[in-house]
Formats: sequence, C-alpha cells, structure tokens
Amino acid sequence: MSTMQPAVPATSAPAAYSSVSALDEPRRGFNWKAAGRHLFLVIMCLWVILPLLWVVLLSFKTLQDGAHNWIWPRNGFIHPFLTHYDYVLNNPRKVGPIWTLFKNSVLVTMLTVVAATVMSVLAGYALVHLRTPGSRILTALLVASMFFPTQVTAIVGIFSIQRRLGLINQTWSLMLPYTALSVAISIFIMRGVFQTVPKDLIDSAKIDGANSLRTLGGIVLPLVRNGIVVVIIVNFVAAWGEYLLALTLMNDLDKRTLPVFLGSASGGVGGLLWPRMAALYIIAIIPALITFAVAQRWYMKGLQEGALKT
Amino acid sequence: MGDTSVAEATATVATTPAATTRSGWWRTAKDMLSSYPYLLIAIFFFVGWQILPIYSSFRLSFTDDNFLDQNPPNFIGLQNYREVLGDQLFWQGIQRALIFTLVFLPGMIFIPMITAIFIDRVKNERVATLYRIILLIPAMIPSPLIFVLWLWMYNNYIGPINYILVDKLNLFTLATQPQWLQDPKLIFLSIAAMEWWWGLGYHTMFFLAGLATIPKDLPDAARVDGAGEWRMFWGVTVWRLLPILLVLMVVRFGSAMAVITEYLIMGGYDRTKNTYTWTVYMYDTAFNGGVQFRGYAAAIGWVGAIIMLAVVAVMFYIFRPRD
Repeated sequence: MSTMQPAVPATSAPAAYSSVSALDEPRRGFNWKAAGRHLFLVIMCLWVILPLLWVVLLSFKTLQDGAHNWIWPRNGFIHPFLTHYDYVLNNPRKVGPIWTLFKNSVLVTMLTVVAATVMSVLAGYALVHLRTPGSRILTALLVASMFFPTQVTAIVGIFSIQRRLGLINQTWSLMLPYTALSVAISIFIMRGVFQTVPKDLIDSAKIDGANSLRTLGGIVLPLVRNGIVVVIIVNFVAAWGEYLLALTLMNDLDKRTLPVFLGSASGGVGGLLWPRMAALYIIAIIPALITFAVAQRWYMKGLQEGALKT
Repeated sequence: MGDTSVAEATATVATTPAATTRSGWWRTAKDMLSSYPYLLIAIFFFVGWQILPIYSSFRLSFTDDNFLDQNPPNFIGLQNYREVLGDQLFWQGIQRALIFTLVFLPGMIFIPMITAIFIDRVKNERVATLYRIILLIPAMIPSPLIFVLWLWMYNNYIGPINYILVDKLNLFTLATQPQWLQDPKLIFLSIAAMEWWWGLGYHTMFFLAGLATIPKDLPDAARVDGAGEWRMFWGVTVWRLLPILLVLMVVRFGSAMAVITEYLIMGGYDRTKNTYTWTVYMYDTAFNGGVQFRGYAAAIGWVGAIIMLAVVAVMFYIFRPRD
C-alpha cells in the first residue's frame, strides 16, 4: 500500500479528522477563536452556577453573617454544619409544617408524573403508529391549546370545576389540572420520539400476530425510553414547581406544596432568618436536581432523539 | 385516512363485492375502536381540566358572578366586556405586559442561539456535555424558587449584586445603588434577566437540535470553496436556525404576555408597579379581597387572551413557510 501510494499520510490525515470542522484553523499555535468561544461559555456557566452557590454558602453562614451582604462569612461557618437544615426541618411551630409540605409536594408530583407519562405514551403511540381517525384534528387542537393562556384565562373556570367536585383544599386533586396542562407538551414530546421508530418494525410485529398493545409494550417501549425520561423530568419539574394553582385551590397552608410555601414566605424574620430560608431552599430544590443528575444521560439522548422536533 | 380506506375498498371489489358499500364506514369505526382507547386518558384530562375550564370561564364572563354572595350568577350579556374595554387599568396592564415582552424576547432568543453555536463547535465531547449539563441546571429548579433566588440577588441589604457594585467596585453608593425591583425603569429588565438565566439551557438545547441537522462535512466543503467563517454563518447556519428561531419567538411571545407568577412574587398587588399587568389585574379581581368579581375577571382574561392570540396569529402569518 505505502509503496503504491506515497501520499497516504497526507491524504488520510484529513480523513481521520473529518469530524473536526476545517473552520477551526489554524491548527498550529494557539487557537484564539476557540479560546474566545470557551471564555464566553465559561462566563455563561458561571452566571448560571454562582447564584446557586451563593445560596448554598448562605445556608452554612451564621445568623449574624446572614443578615449582611458580604459574600464570604466573616464569623466562620455555622457549627455544627447542618444547624440550619436541622432547624427548618424540626421547628414546625416557628418555621411551618415543612414535612407535611414536602410530603404534599411528593404526592402531587408522583401522581402527575405517572398520569402524564402513561397518558402521553399511549396517546403518542396512537397518533403516530395506529390508524387514528381524526388524528389531524386532535393534533391541531393540542397545538392550539399550547398557545391559549389556560392557566390565566381559565383559572376562574378551574376553580369553579374543582369547587363543584368538592376538591378545593384536597392536595391530591392538584394532579388533575397539572396533568391537563401538560397534555399537549407531553404528547408532542412522545410523538416526536415515536416518529423515530420505523414503521416497518411495527408492521412486521403485526404480521407476526402481536396485537397493538403487545407491540407497544414489547417492541416499541424499549426504543423510546429516553423520550419517556424527558417526559418524566418535564412533568416532575413542572408539578414540583407549580405555584398559581396550588396557591389558589388550596386554602390552608398545610395543604399546599413546599415551593408555594417558600414563594410566599416572608424571609428574613422570625423562624425564617435568611440562612434558615436558604437551607429550606436547598431542601426544596434537591429532589429535582437529584432526579436530573440520575437521569441526565437518558434525558440528553431523549432530547436529541426527537423530543425537540416540534 | 380516507384515501387509504378507499384504495383498500376498491382492491377488495373483485373478490367480495358485498363489502364495498359499507367498507369505508366500517373501516373508520374499526380504526376508532382500536385506536381511541389509547387516547382515553388524554381526552379525560384534556376535556375535564382544559376544555371545560375554558368553556366555564367563557360562560362566567357574561355573568355578574362573584365569590361573596351565594346567589346564582345573573346573565348580564356583554356588560363585562363593555366595561373591560373602557377600563384604564386593563389597557395599562396590556401595555405593561407588551413592554415586558419586548424587553424579554431578544435575550431569550439570541443568548441561547449564540451559546448553542459555540457549544456546537466544541470538539471535546465531554466538555460539550459538561456545558450542556451546567446550563440546564436552572431548568430543573421549581419556578417559585427561581423567583425567590433572584429576590435575594436583587436585594439591597443582603444581595450579592449590589454588594459587588457598591462595596467592591465602588460604582455606586448606598444612596445611588440600583433599585433593581423598585425602580420602574429597571424592574422589567431585572425580571427579564432572571428569565434569561432560567431559560438559557433549555433554549440552547432547541438550537443545538437544529445545528445537529447540519451535515458535519458541509463546513469543510464550504471552506474548500473559499467561503469565510462569516459567509458560512450567514449562508448556512442562520438558515438552519431560522425556523427554530421563529417558532421560539412565537411561543415565547405567548408565554411572556401571560406571565403572572413572577409578577405576584416579585411585585405583589401594587397597582402602581409595572408588574401589575392584565394577568395580575385578572387574578387580583378574581381571588383577592372581599367580593372577588369572578365574572368581570373572566372577561378581563378573555379580552387579554384574544389580544394575545391575535398577535400570535399575525406572527404565524408573517413567519409562514413560503416555498
């Protein structure tokens, strides 16, 4: 080979680097353009991360430091280290019923995630791979609903429906409007992912005599699991963080969710001096962040596979 | 759907002539029986807590319904709508929402777009993934807690932003420091910057999905043809990203006009504040205070929604795919 083609090194080198864009010249020496791009991205990342680190820091400051605006604590960190976390979790009379609120959040979030996931998998499958009469009209309705400000314009209607059903102040019932508000986005994510599953695969399963439910469970579902992770995370974050409906439909403080309590709490006084509020804040954001950390790999893949298509 | 059933019907004519007359209907009914069970849960939630509330608030908007008196609401025709159209506070609320939207939109579209273009050029796969993960962190934080976080950031007494500006950089004094959430000129910018922080990672993912459709060897080919970096950007990249940019613009216009939780947490019910937009006015009327005029609030909600949807429709028409 090498004797017949003396130019092999010269021609094969670009081929080996073909995934590298030629625009990133010059290859020799310091690449100022690439450095500039990284600088921009690092600044963006710092912008995102520093405010959150500030809250983490605040949650370990002493109460004196927490009342001032200097960033690094001048009186050292609180000792023992988790004092504020312990305080907010175990002082229901001064802080509020944190455990109850946390349980409420978990309950509503779980119900919403399960309902929205099952709903969107079944509906997305029907819209893409089954002969569904009127699927165009259904899709158009879903698109239209995404632009209608339901949460604002129809909140009066949601309230009167929940009141007629006797569901005001019933924490679990928040999953009904939550799931309804995520119908369109969840189905569109699953629809985009189901479209990446080749039709031949489903047709051949049909020829083999599998019914549509068995085809979905045995053949299609494993192929779209990354998309399902996207649906789970989208609904998890939305349900865990919904504010307006939980505030409006739940009258009693201990029926609401943790983020609603934090959002309407007046921090800086009484049981919720700033470092304590920061500790509570970290407790409230940790579940979603852990979910993301665990599922991040599948989530990214799911987004690439077509969840972002529409 | 019609085409295929007709085609299949004609195909069966030769063998079973009797089936042709009812096959179209039969086929549709059979398809519905086998597909609609899959849609049942979606229809249950969509009709029950989306369609019905919209209908219910529409009906209420023609009544004098309020929460205080227990009498059934009276039908009063278009009176609520006449009053909304002449309501100074409502029009001010629409105007405020529009100003916020105009401040908000450019940063929500272009910062993620530039970020995505830069991440797409990162050669090291792991570094690129790390950037994505870090930028996506705010998208995982519950919305009220985003607002609580930035209430802290902008705070005059404990906030780190003014600490850096006043104590570290000496750009301002305590008397002249920026009042991020009190100054009417600054409040929308402050809230918009918070929204950019929140949405940066999520919107970057949309643009990255668009950039992934550009074949990797296209830039090289363009380079061989002598196209410079800028020509490459304007000639290829922009055209690939334009559809995403337009869709995001319409979607974000809609969500920015209907912003409410941010305003409630950061501005409260203060009518003199810029955050008292039509959405806050609607909520204030419906659920705050003693009487709670739900009928009038529903009318505010509907006029606001119609104005908003009209602009969305115009944007769709302008941005419609030609050719």
